[in-house]
Parts: sequence; structure tokens; C-alpha cells
Amino acid sequence: MKGTLKVEAKSPEATIRGLFARWLKEGKLSAILSPAYSAAGTATLALFSNPQKLDEAAPLLPAMGVNAASIVAEFARDASPNAKVGLFLRPCELRAVVELIKLKQVAPDSLVLIGADCAGTYKAAGFRNVRGKDADFDNKHVREQSGYAENVNFRVACQMCEYPKPLVFDLNVGFIGMDADTELWVEAATDKGKGLVEGLELSAQDEPDKRKKALEGLSAARKATTAKRIEELDKAMMGPEKLVEYFSDCLNCHNCMKVCPVCYCRECFFDSDTFQRDIGEHVRVSLRKGATRMPSETLLFHLTRMNHMMASCVQCGICEDSCPVTIGLATLFKKVSQNAQKEFEYVSGRSLDEPLPLATFRESEFTKVGEE
Amino acid sequence: MASYEPKIVGFLCNWCTYAGADLAGTSRMQYPPNMRPIRVMCSSAVDSVYILRALLEGADGVFIGGCHPGDCHYVSGNYKARRRMVLFNSVMKSLGLDTDRVWLRWISAAEGRKFADTITEMTGHLSKKGPSAFKEKWEV
Ligand code: SF4
Ligand code: SF4
Repeated sequence: MKGTLKVEAKSPEATIRGLFARWLKEGKLSAILSPAYSAAGTATLALFSNPQKLDEAAPLLPAMGVNAASIVAEFARDASPNAKVGLFLRPCELRAVVELIKLKQVAPDSLVLIGADCAGTYKAAGFRNVRGKDADFDNKHVREQSGYAENVNFRVACQMCEYPKPLVFDLNVGFIGMDADTELWVEAATDKGKGLVEGLELSAQDEPDKRKKALEGLSAARKATTAKRIEELDKAMMGPEKLVEYFSDCLNCHNCMKVCPVCYCRECFFDSDTFQRDIGEHVRVSLRKGATRMPSETLLFHLTRMNHMMASCVQCGICEDSCPVTIGLATLFKKVSQNAQKEFEYVSGRSLDEPLPLATFRESEFTKVGEE
Repeated sequence: MASYEPKIVGFLCNWCTYAGADLAGTSRMQYPPNMRPIRVMCSSAVDSVYILRALLEGADGVFIGGCHPGDCHYVSGNYKARRRMVLFNSVMKSLGLDTDRVWLRWISAAEGRKFADTITEMTGHLSKKGPSAFKEKWEV
């Protein structure tokens, strides 16, 4: 079921709020997780349940502080017969939700994945200064339709993001390539999605060519940016000397792991007793090279983390935003994860049916490994 | 540097390669003493963290020995180890780090000769290649 939805009063954001109100009133959803913007200037997410309280829902807010999949993993580990929660999230967030479903960290039964297009986001921290007093900021961002690929004020990961439209969704609400003052694109991919669309006045049609072209164009421009950034990265990072330098400012705070949506262990191995060395052990390790960096095993943490979760990294770049010493993690992990996923012909969050690369195997593959 | 002797940390599967190493020993086959063997229950039990810790703390190489594909005591452990190795190599390549310091090889309990030959070959390779860049780096 797909088609265009008429936009009320030239406000795509208010139109989506109207959908929220309808779904909540009709009892189709018990709550909706959506970006939110408070009068005081807090750019965040909120779980909305009362249709009267939707004024500060900001479904098209172009600002991101956490990857919402981390939040979903906290509250939706198990399904509940009493809850049906709509996730109105961005493509990279839904891709992370898909990975978490496959990792059995999120139970999909009580969730409806409502994906919104995303043309790029600003950091949530300080977003109030970008937005100023402009109450129409989100609508303008959606209306622009150009300059998305060139915006250097977007988060670094967004500047490289080739997925402006969600890959897996029950329902997609899109604005890219649309005349967003007058209409939005609505597409239900599953029965859950169709349930939400039922009763809406859609003018049924196929995805407009103009939209497809706009999405492809944006995606291609972003891939070019990625290639350029990785070229620069390689000059600064390749090889043992430069790699150590790249991470030389790291404080070993593990923020990058804590905010990562697909770093799914409840307790990180690096916080376990294995890494609690006593004084004697520290001295013994130090004797090997004559000195050890303290805090110890900083690079080990990063290299191991890459091995553990690059197959599922969704390239959201929230790790970089959370790093107190601004290590360029977004470009680094973009490169490492893309290469890793390519080995297995896998794309994180692309499909619920593709098995996780490290949870499957074929007898006939990679036969050279182990032989020479 | 003249006195450089490569240090290799070996993770040997209990059911195949460890027994193969045992056979090499009891058959008095000669091979260089550069590898420190650690017995593990399966090649798939060797998480990347153990490989990386060895390398970052100054090992020149890491050897992982498992049962031949199809012969895993736990049915499919070595197939999973193989996928992890592919991922490991990909990450190392992306970072510009050596991929020839970590060897995964299938050696059965009956292949004492193959075990001795493989360790000889690996030691020779690392002797020629020189010490790991992380050997002297305290700031990792
Ligand atoms: S490693 Fe960084 S970019 Fe990748 S999923 Fe985690 S937070 Fe996002
Ligand atoms: S957030 Fe930055 S400083 Fe903290 S562990 Fe990660 S890379 Fe290091």
C-alpha cells in the first residue's frame, strides 16, 4: 500500500503529528517513540502516549544525540501483550534496531517500525543555537530539497550516509524528492504498516520517479564524500605507527562503546575481571617492554571492539560524537565496517532474513583460509 | 637485532592440533622452539582479543591450530573460526596492519609431521620478516 498523503497547512511536521494523534486515539499504537524538541531547547527523543501532548513531538527534527536503537534495546528486550509502540526513527536507527532484533536483544512483536527519510542531522548538543528561534526550522529543512549533500555542518557520519531512506520498515514516511509543502510519501511494506495506513486518504501511486532520482542522487553524492574522506583518513591512520598516533589521545573512557547501538553485551568484556590486573600483574606486564601505558590496553579495546561489532556497525557515528577528545571514529568505522561487511556480502540492517555474518557459515566458502 | 628470535603464541585445539603437536614431540621430530603452546578446547574459542593482546604485548606471531573442516569435535567450530579469521584479516587490512603474523592452520591428531613443518615454516617467515612493530611500543 503506497501513495502520497496531503500535507496540512504547509507543515509536513504538523501533518505527521496529526498521524501520531490519530494512531494514538484509535488505539492502533499505545505509544510512539519520536524525536522531540522542547520549548526550552532540548533536542531529544520522547515516548508519546497522550495525543494531547504532541505539541513538542518533532518527528522531522534534524538533530541526533543518541542512536534511538540503544533506547529501544533498553525497553523492548521482551514483547508485551499490552503495548504496541511505534518507532518513528531515522534510517540508521532502524538499521540498528534490525541488527538488535537479529542479535535477539530486541523483541519485534510489540513494535511497529515507522521509518522516516533522513537528509542529514546536526548534533543534538548545541542544536538550539543552530535552530535559533525559528519554529519552522524542521519544515524548512524538509522543504529545502537541495544542499543536503553539501552541508558540512551535518554530523560527519551523516555527510557520508548513503541511506536517506530506511531499508527495513513497516511504514515509511518520506519527504525526499517530494514537494513537501503539499505532499508526503507514505509506503506500507508489511501488514503492521498497512494497519496504520488504513483509513488514511492516500492518493495511491507508485513511488514517483522524481523521488527515486533524488534519493539516488543523494546517495551517490554521499558515496563520493565517503571515498574522499577515507582517502584522507588513510593518510593519517594506516600502519602501526600512525594507528597508535590516531588513537594517542584516547582516554580509555569507553564512551564510544557505551553509546554504540550495536555493541550489545550487557556487560562489556573490558569491564570484566579479566581486565582487573592487580599491582603485581601490572608490574609483570610492564617489565616486558620496560613500560606500559596507563590506563592500559587502550588500543586493544578498540581493535577488539572492531572485531566484535564491525559486522553490525550501522555507521551512525554516534561514537565519534560521544568521544571527549574528538577521535575521528565515524570515518574510521565507516571504512572498517564497510570492508568487513563486504567480505560476507552483508549490509548491516538491510534485511531481517540475512543471517549475521558471525552466526552462520557455509562449508564451501573461504576454503583458502587455514590452508595457506 | 642480530639476536632476534621470533616469539609465537600458539593456540592449539585440544582434539586435533594439540594432539598433533604431541605426536610430533613423542616422535622426536625437530622443530624450532619459538612457539609457546596454549591448549584451547576449539579453534573457535580463540577470540580476537587473545590474538590482539598477544600481538600488542609484543608477540611476533600468533598461531591457531584447529581440526580440518568437517572434523570439528563440536561439529562446526572451525567453520566459525574461519569466518572470524576472515573478519580479523579484513580489520587488520583496513588499518594497514600485517595479516601474515597470524596463521590459522588445520592440523589433525595424526599430522605430527605437518605440525612440525608448519611451525618451522612460520618461524622462518617471521625471522625473515623481522620483529613486530608493537614489540617496543609502550604507548599502545
Ligand atoms: S561503532 Fe559508531 S558508527 Fe558504528 S554503530 Fe557503533 S556508534 Fe554507530
Ligand atoms: S570515546 Fe574516545 S576517548 Fe573514550 S574510549 Fe572511545 S575513543 Fe577513547
